[in-house]
Amino acid sequence: MDKMKPISEAIVQLKWDEIAALTNEAVEAGFPALEIINQGLVVGMAEVGTKFRNGEMFLPEVLLSAKTMKTALDILLPILSQQGASSMGRLAIGTVSGDIHDIGKNIVISMLQGNGFEVMDLGVDIAPERFVEVVRDNDLQILGLSALLTSTMPMLDETIAALEKAGLRQKTKVIIGGAPVTQAYADQVGADGYGADAVAAVELTRALI
Amino acid sequence: MAMTQKQRILAAARKQAVDRVPVGARIDVWYNYHSGHDTLPEKYKGCSIPDILRDLGAGIELYHPSIWKTEYRNTEVIVHEDLPYTTTEYRTPKGTVRKKTMFTPQEGPWVEYELELPFKSADDYPAIEHLLENTVLVPDFDEYVKKQQMVGEDGLVLCASGYSPMQEIMRCIMGYERFFFELYDHPSQVEHLYELMKEVIWQKLRILAESTAEIVPTCGNWSDDIHTPIFKKYFVPWLQEVAKFMHSKGKLTRVHADGEMRRLIPMFPETGIDVAEAWSPVPMTSVTTAELRKAWGDKVTIWGGVPAILFEPQYSDEEFDDYVKNLLREIAPGYNFIVGMGDNVAFDGKIERVGRMAELVDKYGRLPIEI
Repeated sequence: MDKMKPISEAIVQLKWDEIAALTNEAVEAGFPALEIINQGLVVGMAEVGTKFRNGEMFLPEVLLSAKTMKTALDILLPILSQQGASSMGRLAIGTVSGDIHDIGKNIVISMLQGNGFEVMDLGVDIAPERFVEVVRDNDLQILGLSALLTSTMPMLDETIAALEKAGLRQKTKVIIGGAPVTQAYADQVGADGYGADAVAAVELTRALI
Repeated sequence: MAMTQKQRILAAARKQAVDRVPVGARIDVWYNYHSGHDTLPEKYKGCSIPDILRDLGAGIELYHPSIWKTEYRNTEVIVHEDLPYTTTEYRTPKGTVRKKTMFTPQEGPWVEYELELPFKSADDYPAIEHLLENTVLVPDFDEYVKKQQMVGEDGLVLCASGYSPMQEIMRCIMGYERFFFELYDHPSQVEHLYELMKEVIWQKLRILAESTAEIVPTCGNWSDDIHTPIFKKYFVPWLQEVAKFMHSKGKLTRVHADGEMRRLIPMFPETGIDVAEAWSPVPMTSVTTAELRKAWGDKVTIWGGVPAILFEPQYSDEEFDDYVKNLLREIAPGYNFIVGMGDNVAFDGKIERVGRMAELVDKYGRLPIEI
């Protein structure tokens, strides 16, 4: 665990220019890639999440932590892929029909990619039928739906209903987020999870996969 | 003789005495949608925003996009329209950059959304620098003055465009995520862009200073989790400089404070900005109006206080009344406050509640408030 400390510290201290060397050192020292990820990178990101929640770190710094982590994952994931795993998980994310506000969605995508997840960015103003098509045609573990407006929130419900109708609801977990969305609303519409912010979205994704 | 809504709003913005709390209501999202779909209530068909707000008994907060036109020297600007999308290509001697926007006023908004921003990678610095160096803003007051005449003494027309230089770069040139990566990866180039953008924004400020606008825009659309790390360095000094300049020209200044403000609140009073407009408290953000009043005292006039979501059908009329009455308790004795919405009424909002808001302020908002 202590041998991984420099790596987790690099994540917290935003040492994106040192992380590649630290990761290569750990690999050359014989540590398994998965151990470096779980005991180094994920531990660092967990601390970043705590600091973000406590107001000690801000979103730009969290994004840089994610960038730091991605640099390490670019080294580690090819090693893992030789063992059959090429990413931490696969998602698709888009804003719901009628909603073209994508700042939140883009930040969540950056964070997820930084944390080693493969993300299909579906863009904005996505109709329920398009979400259904994406779930049908792709091997996704999670579908993310974003809505900024109170007036587009009902489309979260409609999209989930469309997945149900298409018989695809059990194929993929659905997570939702956006300024007016709450856990209570997520429960009401039958989503599998709700992320209040980008850090929560990553934690939720990790927990659901 | 009772003060007019305009007199009340301006007096509150200047921290002067008023007879009762002013109301400045903003409904353009609701209006544009229903006007565009021909679904305005029967009694409002053919009416303008000021007509409707007058009928509802509310003071008017009317937005106007901008009072300048933008021209580019030494640049070929190619515009391709495929409505609702517009793609604009800027061909400069230093390279070509492109932005894509979407504008659908009938869906509510009156400004375009950026779907693709001009800066895509560090390769775009030379072209963006050229664009900024060759940007010329030309005053365009006519429509704004017409709107002022239309509103008269019943409220105020606010000129909307007005970000500070770094917000302009973050929001309109690069996008937030890319901006922060660039700030860490290429700090000197971002700083250079910042200096060039300052010159462009100063052109806007000089036009605003010469306009008939009473309260001029300086920045806005912040969220504390994004802006806090750079607020002190890039925003506070800029806002101080602008406030000083505008005050010397007899203008009041405002920011559009509709985002999460908690960690920006302590830094804000030192900016010298007069009004924080579009104030959006709990449940839209984490801060109550009482907390904000306590933090800012009489240094900043707050405009807003009734979050957009309260106009939605999911809240009952009783809950709406309770919210507005509680707001009046929170702001008592009521000076330096303009009641309005944070920051609009959505298309499915209950428009009659705008009238109810004005009615409750009429009833309980006489100063000093005792409710």
